[in-house]
Amino acid sequence: MEVLKGRVFVLGDDVDTDQILPGYAMAEPFEQLGKYAMAGAPGLDFLNRVQPGDIIVAGRNFGCGSSREQAPIALKMAGLGLVVAAGFARIFRRNAINIGLPVYVADIAGVLKDGDIIEVDMVKGVIRYPEGQVAAKPLSDNVLKTLDYGGLIPRVRAELGIS
Amino acid sequence: MNLIESHLAKAAGLDKVSAGMDVSCKVGYVAAHDVTAPIAIKQFREIGVDKVFDPKRVLLIVDHIYPAASEKARDSVWIMDDFAREFGIPIYKKGEGVIHQIMYEKHRAEPGELVVIADSHTCTCGGYGAIGIGVGSTEAAAAMATGRLDLEVPAVVQVYLTGKLKENVFGKDFILYLGEIFGTDYLTDKGLLITGPGIECFSVAERMTVCNMGTELGSMITLFGTEEKEMEVEEIREIDLSTLNPKIAKPFSPANVCDVAEVAGLPITQVVVGSCTNGRINDMEQVALALKGRQVHPGVNMLVVPSSKNVLNTMEEKGWCKIIREANATVLNPGCGPCFGAHEGLISNRDVVVSTTNRNFPGRMGANKGQIYLASPATAAASAIAGKITVPGTEASL
Repeated sequence: MEVLKGRVFVLGDDVDTDQILPGYAMAEPFEQLGKYAMAGAPGLDFLNRVQPGDIIVAGRNFGCGSSREQAPIALKMAGLGLVVAAGFARIFRRNAINIGLPVYVADIAGVLKDGDIIEVDMVKGVIRYPEGQVAAKPLSDNVLKTLDYGGLIPRVRAELGIS
Repeated sequence: MNLIESHLAKAAGLDKVSAGMDVSCKVGYVAAHDVTAPIAIKQFREIGVDKVFDPKRVLLIVDHIYPAASEKARDSVWIMDDFAREFGIPIYKKGEGVIHQIMYEKHRAEPGELVVIADSHTCTCGGYGAIGIGVGSTEAAAAMATGRLDLEVPAVVQVYLTGKLKENVFGKDFILYLGEIFGTDYLTDKGLLITGPGIECFSVAERMTVCNMGTELGSMITLFGTEEKEMEVEEIREIDLSTLNPKIAKPFSPANVCDVAEVAGLPITQVVVGSCTNGRINDMEQVALALKGRQVHPGVNMLVVPSSKNVLNTMEEKGWCKIIREANATVLNPGCGPCFGAHEGLISNRDVVVSTTNRNFPGRMGANKGQIYLASPATAAASAIAGKITVPGTEASL
């Protein structure tokens, strides 16, 4: 897992899955999901602003609510490279890793503003931002392994010996 | 070990597990519904195995958008139907009911067995003693192929209950109260174990309501234990049930909870009773008791959604459907109904809803500023009649 560098969107606590991917969009075909990323938070104007490799930095309990995997898929398809949050809801965190969208726990939303550029090294556990840097817990070997495979499905294929 | 650890140890084939251990557990059932199954099926096909781990233990259930509200929703059913036929697994596609209720009625896991469903409310089955773990589509696909689920053994918070509930206080009020004290993320990645002599207050159906909303508190597993206090847990909270009043969650968080009395009098425009949280026979009985001989307030749409065909049959046999219709409320087909904002009762920014469902996030039932209050069926029905939020038991007499 290489060091990820990107421009940030700063969000608050409890960003739920209905904001990330609203219920009305759940029946959309897989390929269309990127068009609905953050559509439940209209004030954010995410789709008009997001650029490839951008990073969401949020507070506590990011991704709370539904198990809909459409939520992290939509973020990934819209070009988002990473979500950093003070905490993640369990199912969202696992879903994101399982589809190959990195998520990383660090409480840095308070020191950043929209548009800041940060550099995140999830192997060493360092985040560099304009005014300094902060240490965070490195990703576990298990999570790194899944992300290095590109998600759970390629990993399961490898583990079942399917080439 | 505590009860959750004992169950996980057995599923993992180990003598002992403890919090923080990574284990691979044998799974009893794997299921998905029309919103999560299409992606699970896509991922399953990508794995490239030619069968599911056990065709009797992998199920597909159409509950979220039935009957189809769009061509795309109908396409999802066809994807599921093709997969069910190809792999020889059961499918429910005729509006039989909500996945968690169908699992209870027709594919009930044994106590301690793992149930893995691509739906966050899988924790519902903790009400009948099974270990329900909600996952996303990809993890469900992997479990369909392997019959196993990798997880980390959670630290367990035990809520030890004493006392008896007052009249008009229900399982829903209790789980909302847990939201009030724990918030939305204190229990993230933890197990929530509910024990003590107070659990006798709750029928299995009420226990399912309680466990259903464990996910709103972030918990990984929510489970009813026994009357005995367990000692090998991370934390114990004691609660005297007799101190609880009817509770309500205000917009826009299921943990933004207060006594119903504190917001009583607020005018409302829609009431929803149903969902995997509160769509069972006992819930419908509360509605019928409240509405008998009364009328829903002219300014309120009241939608009643049984959680299964079986529940609807009982409602008809007991005459409750007629009571509900004569009160000017609407009985919808079994399923998820308007809970998650895809069909059958979407709201605008002008609406204020009292709902027995599980989430009141912005936009959950439609418009972003539409306000949703979460409460018990008794509170919802009393509020529907009065046209304003009402503490059950305080309605004007006939």
